[in-house]
Amino acid sequence: MRLPSRSLTFLPALLLLSASLSAQTYTLKAPIASKPALLISIGQSADVEMVKVLLDRSKLDYKADPQVKAGGLAASGAKTLIIAIGGSSKGLGAAGISADAELDRAKVLLAEAKKLGLKIIGIHVGGEARRGELSDKFILATVASCDYVIVVAEGNADGLFTKLCAAAKIPLDSVEKITKAGDPLFKAFK
Amino acid sequence: MNRIIVIGIALSGAVSVAFGQAVPANLHTRGAQGANGVVATAKPDSAQVGIDILKKGGNAVDAAVAIGFAQGVLEPNANGLGGGGFITIKLVGKDPIVIDFREMAPIASKPDMFKYSEDGKTQLPAKRTDSTASAIVGPGSQVGGLASGVPGDVAGLLYALENYGSVAQKTGKTMTRQAVMQPAVDWAMKVPVTSNLAGAIKDNFDKIKQFPAAASLYLKDGLPYDIGDTIQNPDLQATLKAIQADGAKAFYEGPIAAAVVSEVLAQGGILSLADMRGYKVEARKPVTGTYRNYTIISTPPASSGGTHIIQLLNILENFDMKSYGQNTAKSLQLWGEAMRLVYADRAQFMADTAFVKVPLTGLTSKAYAKDLAALIALDKVMPTPVAPGDPSKYESGSTTSFSVMDKDGNMVACTKSINYFFGSGVVIPGTGIVMNNHMDDFVLKPGSVNSVEPKKRPLSSMSPTLVLDPQGRSFMTLGAAGATRIITAVAQIISDVVDHGMSIQAAISAPRIYRTNTSDYNVEGRIPVSTTNGLTALGHKLLFQDDYSPSQGVSQGCLYDYATKTLYAGADPRRDGQGVAY
Repeated sequence: MRLPSRSLTFLPALLLLSASLSAQTYTLKAPIASKPALLISIGQSADVEMVKVLLDRSKLDYKADPQVKAGGLAASGAKTLIIAIGGSSKGLGAAGISADAELDRAKVLLAEAKKLGLKIIGIHVGGEARRGELSDKFILATVASCDYVIVVAEGNADGLFTKLCAAAKIPLDSVEKITKAGDPLFKAFK
Repeated sequence: MNRIIVIGIALSGAVSVAFGQAVPANLHTRGAQGANGVVATAKPDSAQVGIDILKKGGNAVDAAVAIGFAQGVLEPNANGLGGGGFITIKLVGKDPIVIDFREMAPIASKPDMFKYSEDGKTQLPAKRTDSTASAIVGPGSQVGGLASGVPGDVAGLLYALENYGSVAQKTGKTMTRQAVMQPAVDWAMKVPVTSNLAGAIKDNFDKIKQFPAAASLYLKDGLPYDIGDTIQNPDLQATLKAIQADGAKAFYEGPIAAAVVSEVLAQGGILSLADMRGYKVEARKPVTGTYRNYTIISTPPASSGGTHIIQLLNILENFDMKSYGQNTAKSLQLWGEAMRLVYADRAQFMADTAFVKVPLTGLTSKAYAKDLAALIALDKVMPTPVAPGDPSKYESGSTTSFSVMDKDGNMVACTKSINYFFGSGVVIPGTGIVMNNHMDDFVLKPGSVNSVEPKKRPLSSMSPTLVLDPQGRSFMTLGAAGATRIITAVAQIISDVVDHGMSIQAAISAPRIYRTNTSDYNVEGRIPVSTTNGLTALGHKLLFQDDYSPSQGVSQGCLYDYATKTLYAGADPRRDGQGVAY
């Protein structure tokens, strides 16, 4: 049956609605990660310091090495990689690394982590302030390699994390505030 | 076919929602217009402060000073009592003046005061006097006590009020220091945490948490505030009340000064009570030039800004910018090449003229600009830099700028700063004062015209600028935040208004470019693809930024349309800018 022409004006809305409904969000159903953990940064934003605060409060057994390279993973003894994802030109400048070089580091590091059998938890706590051209590059480069992702909701307002995690069937937990992010992070560990 | 097009639009809409960049809130309501007075600042609340002062009969300077103190409370990451800046004033019938309240290097400063690693590459941190405390992390010129110059904010704002406010000008009686500072006093207990402030706190979390006084003020339970929270700063309120009651000496002498010196020393600095007592505002003749018969009035050294804005526009005046169009490949080829030449000169010549002879007349001359323009071609890129460049300094969109204009033609533009967001990270306990890190604006090793010397002012790019129309009438006030991007932002906005007939708001919102003699060619995301393709074809290597990038300068301005007798305010959506009018 040929649709009346007026129906065509509703088609975009229907398509957007069906797209949003099919983008499921996953909640982690059981712990997946083992200790000790290694906290790193991809993007070199100050968010890694906030995640440190969360980890310290949860008394999780971890070390931090924001700029670790692939070659340092095995020596770290970590069984789980916690990645504070978020780009900062200030942070990259302070670390003496370009955005492209950081992306290269991320690529090699994530491949090595997979090879070593590390669980990878991605966490984005920077909210809306940690989105944009620079940060999104690191998000796109990192999320698909994660086994679990935690995001502060404001940083997922456009549904980017939802879509990326749904496409790769990665469990995603969204929290309202940074202070709430410590709980799912802690519970992800056995 | 229609169905295919609709499906395609829907899908592309879904994709752009998924991967598109954030559009600033209230994008189309930043500007304002009115018949009596306009104000444009980086925060809606401080803009309202300014308009309220104008409505109560204050003049443009009263309003600007009220905004200045309020802005220090409302945007504490970018300016405040611990910082410095410049104000450019033109009252009707009077000559323009620039009030230079830039920070001064402490008396104990030396050209080699910042220490480096053995290989000379890494700057070492400042050392706390309490050896049991954790070490400061970060370069000494940026983090900790050694990074601070003697603040000029209080001295500068009060100098402006006491010499150019309505009471001083005998045009009013009510805008006393008490009246003008009261809004800041009130706001100190209810600072809104906007998206912008929340982001600034997050981005500087590692610096803030190093200093307990800063952490207690700008973190909530050890983590950044959330958007929508309110920060209470009773210490800052008390400090403002003391200044309100007793004037500048309440800051530069007595217990507040003692507290500033004590904490800066404790955090590895070299500030002294003599530095605080000896701080001096400089009232300077502006640097002036013309662009297509419009008069440009702007800041002389210790700011490089005014000189180089005029120089940049002088170069482009040799080209028919109007015919090339706004943000086309041709016009941006010219802008980009001109910027390279200007920044090469800035690196070579610019410094505090109290210490160094700077060829201001030559730099702002039309003849020199014509020689430079002859080096620029529409169809090819100049070879490598023509002069040794400054090290390409990382800088965020720090600093704040605001403009005031009234129906009589009185104009004030002010730009002030604590340098990097949250300055040195040092907050003076009990006072709420965030200290600047403007020592970082010096060349940090000996041998440059801009090397550190006692009492010298570090080179700035701040450029609060006034423009007169070809008839010599008050036309536009303009300023920007963003370090060296200030120069290029202000120049592009002037051209957008003068060459392309844009409104002040459209000109401020328009996408911009930025480059120096050594940097990448930075291009804001909204520059048309046809333009960026054309620039790439010429051989430029472009670095794309967000669609609304604070790294392109953040500007506020006012303009008067004589045809309609309307004042317009334009404010930048790249941060929390807002215009208000009545």
